[in-house]
Amino acid sequence: MRKLSIAALGVVAALALASCSAGDGGSGESATGDLRVWLVGTDTPQEARDYLIDTFESENPGSTLTIEEQAWGGLVDLLTTNLSGSDSPDLVEVGNTQAAAFTSAGAFLDLTADYDALGGDDLLPGFVEAGSYDGKFYAAPLYSGSRLVFYKKDALAAAGLSVPTTLDEYVSNGEALAEANPGASGIWWPGQDWYNALPFIWENGGEVATFESSGWKSQFSSPGSIAGLKQVQDVMTNASRAPKDANETNPQVGYCEGTTLQLSAPSWVKWSILAPLDAETPGCPDEEANLGVYAMPGKDGGAAQVFAGGSNIAVSAKSAHPELAKKALAIILSDGFQEIYGANGLVPAKLSLADTLGTDEVAAAISEAAGAARLTPPSPKWADVEASGALTDFFVQIAQGGDVASLAKDLDAKIDSILNG
Amino acid sequence: MSPNTSLDVAPGDVDGDRLVAPSQRGSQRAVKKPRAQFTPYSLLVPATAVLAAVVGWPLIQLVIMSFQEFGRAQVFGAPSPFIGFDNYVEVLTDQAFWLVMFRSFAFAAVCVVSTMVMGTLIALLMNALGKVMRLVLSIGLLLAWAMPALTATIVWGWMFDTGYGVVNYVLTRWFGLDYIGHSWLIEPLSFFFVAALIVIWGAIPFVVFTVYAGLTQVPDEVLEASQLDGAGPVQRFRLIIFPYLRSIFLVVFILQIIWDLRVFTQIFALQGIGGIKEQTSTLGVYIYQNSLGTGEYGTGGAIAVITVIVITAISFYYVRQSIKEEEL
Amino acid sequence: MSVSTASRVTSAARSRAKAPPRPGSVSRRVTKVVLSALAAVVTAFSIFPVYWMVQTSFQPNNEIIGSEVNFWPQNFTLRNYETVLFDTTRSQFMPALGNSVVVTVSTVVIALVFAFLASLAVTRFRFKSRKGFILTILIVQMIPAEAMIVSTYRVLDSWSLLNTIMGLTIVYVATVLPFTIWTLRGFVNGVPVELEEAAMIDGLSRSGAFWRITLPLLAPGLVATGVFGFIQAWNEFLLALVVNSRPEMMTLPVWLRTFQIANGTTNWAAIMAGSTLMAIPVIVFFLIVQGRMTSGLVSGAVKG
Repeated sequence: MRKLSIAALGVVAALALASCSAGDGGSGESATGDLRVWLVGTDTPQEARDYLIDTFESENPGSTLTIEEQAWGGLVDLLTTNLSGSDSPDLVEVGNTQAAAFTSAGAFLDLTADYDALGGDDLLPGFVEAGSYDGKFYAAPLYSGSRLVFYKKDALAAAGLSVPTTLDEYVSNGEALAEANPGASGIWWPGQDWYNALPFIWENGGEVATFESSGWKSQFSSPGSIAGLKQVQDVMTNASRAPKDANETNPQVGYCEGTTLQLSAPSWVKWSILAPLDAETPGCPDEEANLGVYAMPGKDGGAAQVFAGGSNIAVSAKSAHPELAKKALAIILSDGFQEIYGANGLVPAKLSLADTLGTDEVAAAISEAAGAARLTPPSPKWADVEASGALTDFFVQIAQGGDVASLAKDLDAKIDSILNG
Repeated sequence: MSPNTSLDVAPGDVDGDRLVAPSQRGSQRAVKKPRAQFTPYSLLVPATAVLAAVVGWPLIQLVIMSFQEFGRAQVFGAPSPFIGFDNYVEVLTDQAFWLVMFRSFAFAAVCVVSTMVMGTLIALLMNALGKVMRLVLSIGLLLAWAMPALTATIVWGWMFDTGYGVVNYVLTRWFGLDYIGHSWLIEPLSFFFVAALIVIWGAIPFVVFTVYAGLTQVPDEVLEASQLDGAGPVQRFRLIIFPYLRSIFLVVFILQIIWDLRVFTQIFALQGIGGIKEQTSTLGVYIYQNSLGTGEYGTGGAIAVITVIVITAISFYYVRQSIKEEEL
Repeated sequence: MSVSTASRVTSAARSRAKAPPRPGSVSRRVTKVVLSALAAVVTAFSIFPVYWMVQTSFQPNNEIIGSEVNFWPQNFTLRNYETVLFDTTRSQFMPALGNSVVVTVSTVVIALVFAFLASLAVTRFRFKSRKGFILTILIVQMIPAEAMIVSTYRVLDSWSLLNTIMGLTIVYVATVLPFTIWTLRGFVNGVPVELEEAAMIDGLSRSGAFWRITLPLLAPGLVATGVFGFIQAWNEFLLALVVNSRPEMMTLPVWLRTFQIANGTTNWAAIMAGSTLMAIPVIVFFLIVQGRMTSGLVSGAVKG
């Protein structure tokens, strides 16, 4: 945590300096144009899209804004090529763990001068850090989604358990549930799902990777991380009946079938579970009353430090209309737009809008988890670590019952070579 | 290849009344000579132009890249210094690369042999079938062929799924074996068994259709005559059909080697479904991970160049055979 | 090789007239039944995954990946096809279909014409760089496409061909051309030179002989390679994704990708419905051309 805040401080200082020298080179740009905005997946609600288009087009008569929806699969390939070409989109959404790959490569327009206007210190700090590189601010936060634990109230009650208050209790609850319900997962955890392992590492005092004078150093084999990983293995083998090598897609299926009694997943999974029967991907709406949710507890109580998934948004360095793109970005970060995220169960990009999440159980859990949420190491090469598959391989092997210490050592070597390569 | 077959037919076919001179060799030369200096090149112009522009030019860039430090920052315009053979040294000294290489060749060998044998047998079968069954079979094969590789892998992935796959279901319910929750992808050998099944399944239709198209060029009379001479099916294949189809076999064989060595989609998609990537990556996937995946385009370029050299070396014998054939 | 084959061929052709009656019809019928049964087994194996794709496309998404295995849709639904065809919030099927058809058909036609010319050059002529050309064609196919994405993108960009039908078509032509030339060469080798020569003696020009004699005889080969080129271009994903990123320029495989929703849920049923729709044009195309493969005219001409 300490290293994070130092880095953030550096960013802020640089921002303050840079905001003085804000001369824009957009002199040759015509006043009107057609903006292309890339949003990824269906997370951004239609209401928000309409708001963006209507607001932009009424504020900038003569200009148009088109939202082009891309998918997460192949996104890095798509961005690497298209942002470097002459037909670049103007504004692009990018996953927060992918952002560093592009900020460091010079793919995005420097937004340092606009930092304060876009929200300044009100912007989610972890995401600001993810979107900054070398003291400059390139990619603004778009939204965040916390990871929550969803559970079946009746199953927990039947086993005589209550909502856990510590991480150890969370683990023992999961194991007790699995034992009481043969064939079912007390905590559903397919082996490829490594995001859920991060809280165990962080809560036990471990780290993913730290920056030292000599460069990045992967920390999976540090004592704290090993303790966390052993706990992960315990859950994967004793509480989970999910396939050891599967990925975490479609978590609602097992839940609705009754083979998943608890699972930790991004907050929007609630909508997958409760999707109406005639929806595109049906869930089990009759479970609504039985669906409980809590923030994963920390080692010593309180909320655990969980991984904060989410997105950043940036202006392409090759945008033909950088000034218009910045105007659209301002709309995206305006309260009017961000509140729509809040109303749809996603954490808005601004701290001050946290209350737009509402006041129900999920909202409470989201705010609690979001407060303690953390991100992956802000190295420009981190996206490459994820892309290499080393992490999913590692956790599949952990799930299989492999030796934690030696596997972690191998993983550290691999990650070190990617981060510093 | 089959010079004299035409004798009975050529005159009628072209509305002429003169027969071709029996010694073709001489006349062939005589006809060709006058314009041979110009015509072949003009025939090659369109193909060469397209290939030079869309493959040749990017390929040169790729080769140059392989001698540079070329990462994502360079894609966005950062200077890309030449670093000599550093990328090559890095790749060649990486044990993982050689493992991947070995794995790819072993996998390709199994797939190529199975595909060729089964494809040829099915083509012969198709040739021997009546009209109706032939159409049924060819539509069946076409349906498999028409299925996008990615979709096919997803569907096969389901069929072999750990929790709800039809394969585990059938083995357990119908055959009384304990395959409940059996993971087909977690062990590398088992992973490659499934992968090979998908690849072979998808490749057979092409072999069948091509060999079958070739079979239609084999004169029935020859086969019938040899049958009368007492030749068994194996002999007939070896002595008559194979020589006729030699050039097509060679073509298909080499293509299969190349494709199976480069196989990407099936392995990549299957790794997303299950298994351990490090133990199951083949060349195509490895290159993807090392270029687009991690943004190390220089290294990716080096692997691509090495791959091309190695495949060329391996298939050199067959290539030479194939080109020799042209010497006729 | 050719000499011995040739003599066998002629003797066979001559003995044809005196062929004795065929062997016993009972054993023939048994053979036929056995062969048909074999064909049925092969067809079943070949079709099963396709069947699985189609039947899942008629199931609600949550039943596809449940723990119950359904061999037949328990709750038959057209919902997935509605989603795929008519969901207005998504990229539209029809424009993507249009792009795919135009790109694929152009690719096949251009590639076949270019490849026919090139394969004539390398089979019917002896010239200096001939071997070099054949080798190049072969080696080009070994280049892993995944490594070429970025450089191909830049080349297209430099010609302002990004997000155009033409750009994608040119790339696909180049992708299938080496294969098409390489395979057609084998088929051209199978067409006797003498036919062309006879035609030329009869007054056709060399190119006339190619177009009027060789080309029709190549029909089965053209169909086989054409179908291959069609399927390659039709299903190509990675390049189409990167090169034609504007939604209105999307092809079907890229369109299909839009049903992968975020990280959490993937609408598998819709993907299967989309894949089924995608396969239909390929089958239609094949049914149109497949007659050529076995056409009596064509094979008759070669076989005499």
